[in-house]
Amino acid sequence: MSRLDTADNRASSPAEYRSTGARGGAGKSRMRLRDYRASMIVAALSAAFGVALVIGTGVLSSAISAHQLAGEHDSVRITVLIVSAVFFAIAVYVSAVVTANTVATVIAGRVREIALYRLIGADSSRLRRGIAREGLVCAALGAVFGTVPVVIAGLIIVPMLVDSRVLPDIPYQVLDPLLKAPLMITVAMGYLASWVGSQRVSQVTPIQALTVAAADPTRPVARGRRVGATVLLIGGLLALLGGVVLGLVSPLGVLVGLVGGVLSFSGIVMFAPVLMPALLRLTGGWMGRSPASRIAAANAVRYPERSARSMVGIVIGVTLVSMFAVASSSYVQMMIGIADEQPEYAEGMNQILTMTLAIFSGLFGFSALIAAVGLVNNLALGVIQRAPELGLLRTLGFTTGQIRRMIVAESAQMTLVSVGFGLVLGTFYGWCGAQATLGAQLGHGLVTPAIPWGVFGIILALAILVAIGASLAPSRRATRGSAVAALAAD
Amino acid sequence: MTTSSSSPVLAARLDAVTKSFGVGSGAVVALDSVTLNIERGRFTAIMGPSGSGKSTLMHIAAGLDSPTSGRVWLGDTEIGALDDAALTRVRRDRMGFVFQSFNLVPTLTAWENIVLPFELGGRRIDDSQRAWITDLCHSLGLGDRLNHRPHQLSGGQQQRVAIIRALATRPEIIFADEPTGALDSRTGREVLTLLADACARFGQTIAMVTHDPIAASYANRIVVLADGSLRHDIGQTSAAEVSALMLSLEEAA
Ligand SMILES: Nc1ncnc2c1ncn2[C@@H]1O[C@H](COP(=O)(O)OP(=O)(O)OP(=O)(O)O)[C@@H](O)[C@H]1O
Ligand SMILES: [Mg+2]
Repeated sequence: MSRLDTADNRASSPAEYRSTGARGGAGKSRMRLRDYRASMIVAALSAAFGVALVIGTGVLSSAISAHQLAGEHDSVRITVLIVSAVFFAIAVYVSAVVTANTVATVIAGRVREIALYRLIGADSSRLRRGIAREGLVCAALGAVFGTVPVVIAGLIIVPMLVDSRVLPDIPYQVLDPLLKAPLMITVAMGYLASWVGSQRVSQVTPIQALTVAAADPTRPVARGRRVGATVLLIGGLLALLGGVVLGLVSPLGVLVGLVGGVLSFSGIVMFAPVLMPALLRLTGGWMGRSPASRIAAANAVRYPERSARSMVGIVIGVTLVSMFAVASSSYVQMMIGIADEQPEYAEGMNQILTMTLAIFSGLFGFSALIAAVGLVNNLALGVIQRAPELGLLRTLGFTTGQIRRMIVAESAQMTLVSVGFGLVLGTFYGWCGAQATLGAQLGHGLVTPAIPWGVFGIILALAILVAIGASLAPSRRATRGSAVAALAAD
Repeated sequence: MTTSSSSPVLAARLDAVTKSFGVGSGAVVALDSVTLNIERGRFTAIMGPSGSGKSTLMHIAAGLDSPTSGRVWLGDTEIGALDDAALTRVRRDRMGFVFQSFNLVPTLTAWENIVLPFELGGRRIDDSQRAWITDLCHSLGLGDRLNHRPHQLSGGQQQRVAIIRALATRPEIIFADEPTGALDSRTGREVLTLLADACARFGQTIAMVTHDPIAASYANRIVVLADGSLRHDIGQTSAAEVSALMLSLEEAA
């Protein structure tokens, strides 16, 4: 068992505890690294991304300014920084979703332990504070792990690029004071997201420690939240459509549409605990009718909140990537339409746009990668938390192969459904964006949405890889060791 | 019977407590106007067939669940009037719990589990308390096991750790729900002897839910529930007599 603190090295007899007295781990369930691995990886990725953006934009704007008048450096830098801040903010948001969901999943698996603490007399706010503190430590460690290699890489690569004359020979500041910003933002994100994710602790009642079967921790979506989500969704959609209509006459339409997009998407994210299970139920039959796939489909909807938690990050990531891809392909298509009149102009535009599309897809893709970490982790935790149940299935006669297929099917269904949903949303939002931006420029009204099949294909292929990758380790763990040991696992 | 809400000899008191689960035609009345006084310094067993409301009674007496109607006291404190924070403090400082399984926090060692209530209350363990706990541990043969985690202990050892934790703070009352339910008969007897001893030697008040006549025979008083009502209230009784009583209840049902 890996643990972050040094409890294992503590004194070994009660008398020796005298010096430490009755303090220390009061009220916190001791941190288990495995549980928080995803939070750390996510913090590392987001810090690395932020740091890479700071270094990259710093070097880029120095290089650009070298060709221009002195004094323009700052304005170039600021423009590039604002663009990268948007991408970093998206990555941090996805990281926060993943972190909060990881914490919530860990708590769902520890309901009885938390109930026991509550029974013995811990109040829930203290338990929550403990969890948020653990989140802070994880995020801080992760942020450092993520930053150090990127900075080292920067220190090595920049002089190499200067040597090979890719970059002009001027001084570059890799160790930018701005590097502190992504680090601090990541750590703050870890703390806040853990606090939000630990909300569930206050729903655990002490009596749950006494009831033999730990009660199902899921609850229907609270009324307030439902109302809020509905308002966001409907209001957002109206604003989005308003933006599209306004876009027909004015370029300002895109701003209205942007607000509407953000609001309505937040509504969809809030509805995830109802929406995702509904989609899973719809698609449950696709996995086949064998006992393994039937149980897999049932598992995916049995803990609706857990499934939703696993899936929502992927939906966000895929929606962002595909939205951008659809919007820019629509733009390209429109440009090609104009190309009849100005062939050489469109040719150049097309090339620039394709490159922009690739770069921006990569930048959005980073958020999707963070979301994938969340999905992989949630599946693994789910399998660990169900160890006794899987042990029972094995004693009932499931072969290890069937258990593995069951876990793979579960993972595949969840991944494919979230990717599919993300692609649909992305296409819709991407078209709205393109329409709101270009409608006024186009004389003839509607932009036909262009589907970038290449990008969609890559997303799907990556998703299949994630689904398989996500289920490999847990399925091996689930079938390793004896069924009896798994049954007895607490 | 006194109608005053406070009584120095009562550790806990239930007054006309009714508990029903669900509403309408599907409602289950788990407790039907139960009045019960649990005296200080006694070991009370609560018996009854499965589904008779024993666990529900204990949960309500311990403030873990609220009655549909009726009032509940712990000593002088009316539990029903307390908010969650106050109830948490009452549980931490004035009650102890032992139940069938999953008594211990898996990530903490036996010793850390035992001192957890002190830590949660932010209380230092003074020398006399430390001596008391260490003494309990040694007399229960756990002296060399205190640095082990629960999964490294046998079921009986885990149960003894849980009992030591419950005794350590010298609470006003210990609630135990089927504490021997998961143990073999010999280990079960050890655990029961331990509880009975704590009652006899230190005047520890204990309320234990069980359906095992042998377990009940360790108590000074046995109350028997059936269909959510008190049917019998008897003094110390042999296991054979308790068995006969339970059989007659089951046949009547
Ligand atoms: N949360 C609940 N929801 C609905 N009904 C409940 C709930 N808890 C208990 N009951 C019902 O109340 C009645 C009493 O239950 P209780 O758990 O108190 O019985 P018990 O005497 O402890 O039984 P056992 O010996 O089997 O543990 C039973 O009919 C039970 O089905
Ligand atoms: Mg019971």
